[in-house]
Amino acid sequence: MRFAVRLNTLKARIVAALGVLIAGIVAIALIGVAALRTLDQTVSRELDGLTQAAEITNGLVVTLFDGLRTGEQFLTDRAATTRQAFHDAGERAYGYQSRLSALPDLRETDRLMIARIAELQAEVEVWYSLAHAQVDLGRRTAAENTVTQVRAPTEELLRLVQDFSALQRNRAGIVAQSLQRSSNDGRMMVWTVLAASVLLGIVVGIATVRAVERPLSRLEAVAKRFAEGDLRPVTLGGMPEELASLADAMTRISTKLRTLVASLIGESERIAASANDFSAISEQLAASAGEISTAMIDVSGGAGLQVSGLHESASAIEQLRTATERNGKMAERLAELGEEIHRLAAKYQKDVSVSATTLLELGDVVQTSAGQVEELDRLSEAVYDFVELIKTISTQTNLLALNAAIEAARAGERGIGFAVVADEVRQLADSSGAAAEEVTQTLSAVRTQVGEVSSTMAAGRAKVRGVETIAQGAAEALDEIRRAIEEVEEGAKRVKSDAAGNLDSAHRILQEIRKASEAASSHASASEEVAAAAEQQGASTQEMAAQATQLNEAAERLRTLVKGFRV
Amino acid sequence: MRNRRNVLPLLLVAAVSGCGSSDGPILIGLAGPFSEQRGASMQLGAELAVAEVNDGGGVRGRPLQLVILDDSASAETAVRVARELYESPGLVAVVGHLTSGTTIAAAPIYNGGSRSVVQLSPSASSPQLSGVGPYTFRVCPSDLVHGARLAEWAWQELGARTAAVLYQNDAYGRGVRTTFQQSFEDLGGAVVSEDPFAAALPTFEPYLRRLAQRGGADVVMIAGTRAGAERIIATLDSLGYSYPVVGGDGLSGIEAADVDATGTLISSAYLPDRVSPRNEVFVAAYQAAFGDVLPDHRGAGAYDAVHLLARVIEEVGPDRRRIQEYLATVGSESAPYQGVTGVIAFDENGDVPDKEVVIGVVRDGRVVTAIRR
Repeated sequence: MRFAVRLNTLKARIVAALGVLIAGIVAIALIGVAALRTLDQTVSRELDGLTQAAEITNGLVVTLFDGLRTGEQFLTDRAATTRQAFHDAGERAYGYQSRLSALPDLRETDRLMIARIAELQAEVEVWYSLAHAQVDLGRRTAAENTVTQVRAPTEELLRLVQDFSALQRNRAGIVAQSLQRSSNDGRMMVWTVLAASVLLGIVVGIATVRAVERPLSRLEAVAKRFAEGDLRPVTLGGMPEELASLADAMTRISTKLRTLVASLIGESERIAASANDFSAISEQLAASAGEISTAMIDVSGGAGLQVSGLHESASAIEQLRTATERNGKMAERLAELGEEIHRLAAKYQKDVSVSATTLLELGDVVQTSAGQVEELDRLSEAVYDFVELIKTISTQTNLLALNAAIEAARAGERGIGFAVVADEVRQLADSSGAAAEEVTQTLSAVRTQVGEVSSTMAAGRAKVRGVETIAQGAAEALDEIRRAIEEVEEGAKRVKSDAAGNLDSAHRILQEIRKASEAASSHASASEEVAAAAEQQGASTQEMAAQATQLNEAAERLRTLVKGFRV
Repeated sequence: MRNRRNVLPLLLVAAVSGCGSSDGPILIGLAGPFSEQRGASMQLGAELAVAEVNDGGGVRGRPLQLVILDDSASAETAVRVARELYESPGLVAVVGHLTSGTTIAAAPIYNGGSRSVVQLSPSASSPQLSGVGPYTFRVCPSDLVHGARLAEWAWQELGARTAAVLYQNDAYGRGVRTTFQQSFEDLGGAVVSEDPFAAALPTFEPYLRRLAQRGGADVVMIAGTRAGAERIIATLDSLGYSYPVVGGDGLSGIEAADVDATGTLISSAYLPDRVSPRNEVFVAAYQAAFGDVLPDHRGAGAYDAVHLLARVIEEVGPDRRRIQEYLATVGSESAPYQGVTGVIAFDENGDVPDKEVVIGVVRDGRVVTAIRR
């Protein structure tokens, strides 16, 4: 874990992994070069030593034999050149012995041998020199005796030289073995370091891949949940720095979306409720409009009867004098009819007033709903902004992944592991982009619905206003009817009270009746107007009811859409 | 006396073999042919110097002690002795060896390995010793100087134009022979014969008779040691030849031989009659310690070598490497050493090129400084 804390970015991890590998390779190269150089130096030094030793040993052997040969030869030929050759051989032998002593890495046995060879060679030389002197003096027998003294040291000398050569050969073998050993050591060292650095590289590589893969799979799972509409809170745990900002963004997005969708659901519930209310009121309105219409038809019917009654009374007036009794009855009936009309008119005026109040209430509801829909629309706008943010993040992540893939490709075989990781990151970016796209689509569906609801409401509001006007017109017309009826009643009352009066009164009554007939006619046309208006209102309320149903349906669809989210 | 001296080294070795602590004595090796007279001289000089140092409070408060090993003047034995001294843990330097052959043979041991130790020879004069290794030093001049000095003296003072050379067939003899021959021929002289000898040679008579038959020589040059020289002088006497005899410092001690060596000229790095206050004190002390004998160049060389080492150890401590480093600067970066044999100042080869060689002559059983004509 301490490792993870120190290497808390992907870059640091990758650099560390590659660094370990490169350091290992450099170490191997250095060790290899050092080992080769050491080996090279050792080989050249040993070979140099061996070559020199061999050369000197060979030279010494040849020289010793030269000395023996010329020493012996002089005894018979006594030539100056032979003596000189003998002397030179002695000098050369000393030279070789000095060079042998100067050889590096000589062992003690070598030194002892060289010292002994020098002593023996000196002895042999001395014996031959004495023999030569004796020969020079003509003492051949003495010389021959002297030379016999040479035998023993000569034999020892030759044996020693042979032994020395053998020693040098052995030494070559030993040198070869030691070279072999040091070469093996170097090779072993290189293999060890190679294995260690490969192992370390693998361990760090696996750790890095894991450190990248685990947060990525967590992010992927969270993105999938978002795509499925599950917006419940997420815990993503520890992340490398590069992914931590992405994780942060996702957490923030989930929080924002949750808040937004929660308010969306609330709004849609309220809209649905309002739409229901609206629908109920519309239906109620339609029902009362129907009643008004029916009542108006009745009123209209009643008025028609009154008018024909009046016409009848007008003609009867002509026979008034003969039919004052019937006239009284007629007037009575007329009063009764007026009474009924008055009652009906009063009743419908009340109904109309109720329906007008209801309409005003409906207007308020529609107004409120419109406000709520606008709020919803505004909220959707905010959601759009966040979705845009997600899209931007996913695009950037995609670019990052592409860059990483290029870097990985550059790193060659070492980067294959990371290329896989980069591809994962890219896919994640794609899926979060797709999720954002889905959210966009959902939102635009929501917004379309909201727009429809909004326009439906606007239409409803206009209709309500129309109904209001119509209702007011109806109320005014009814008022007019009532007033006309009152006039008729008054006239009828007077007819009734004066029927029994004089003829003059009959004329006046006739005039009054004519006036009443005129009023009744106008009242009939007014009540027809009311009926027409009531019918129109009925149609409007029908339409409004239809729209209320539509609004209800839209609200229902909206509710279904937001039900897809889990918050 | 002889027997006691032979037993002493063994006792000393036994006594010091367990030593090596930093509180005990500081060990200095002494290697030479102590069973021979020349070796005995070297040992006396060294022991006198050690006694003087210890009487003066030792080195850094610790006494000096000699580890004395006999190399019998044999290269073979010298190699073994050198190995033993090299391996000795508390040992910080070696005074030795006495002869050129043994010194050269042992040099690779002292210079080799990781614990190289200084080898300071009192008397090995072969030119071959020059530059064998950074741990090899000597307080005596090389044969190049001896041979040249003898040739010059023979040419100049004896008026010799021809010379017969008898050389001991070893590193020393050949070295002196070669340098003498070169210098003599450079001066215009001729070497008429060069005859090798060894201890095993039964007689010098054929060499000398042949020389006489061929017209003799103005001077007989003996490049060898005292033993051979005694026999040559005896042979010359017996044959009745009266060639003047000259020789290198290998002949030292011949004045005390049975043969009459009077008139023999000897080159030497040191003669006891050397005029210097330091030498007079030394000779007096030597005689006080060892009776009525005079020190030769070997004893004086060993005496100087021990005192020089004591001074160096006092300076840098008993450490093999530091002793070498300091010794190499004596006469260059640090002051030269004023010894009884003269001024000691090392060159880069561990040689003392500026040291003079004097010619002595055997007179009345002594070697005295020869006077130029």
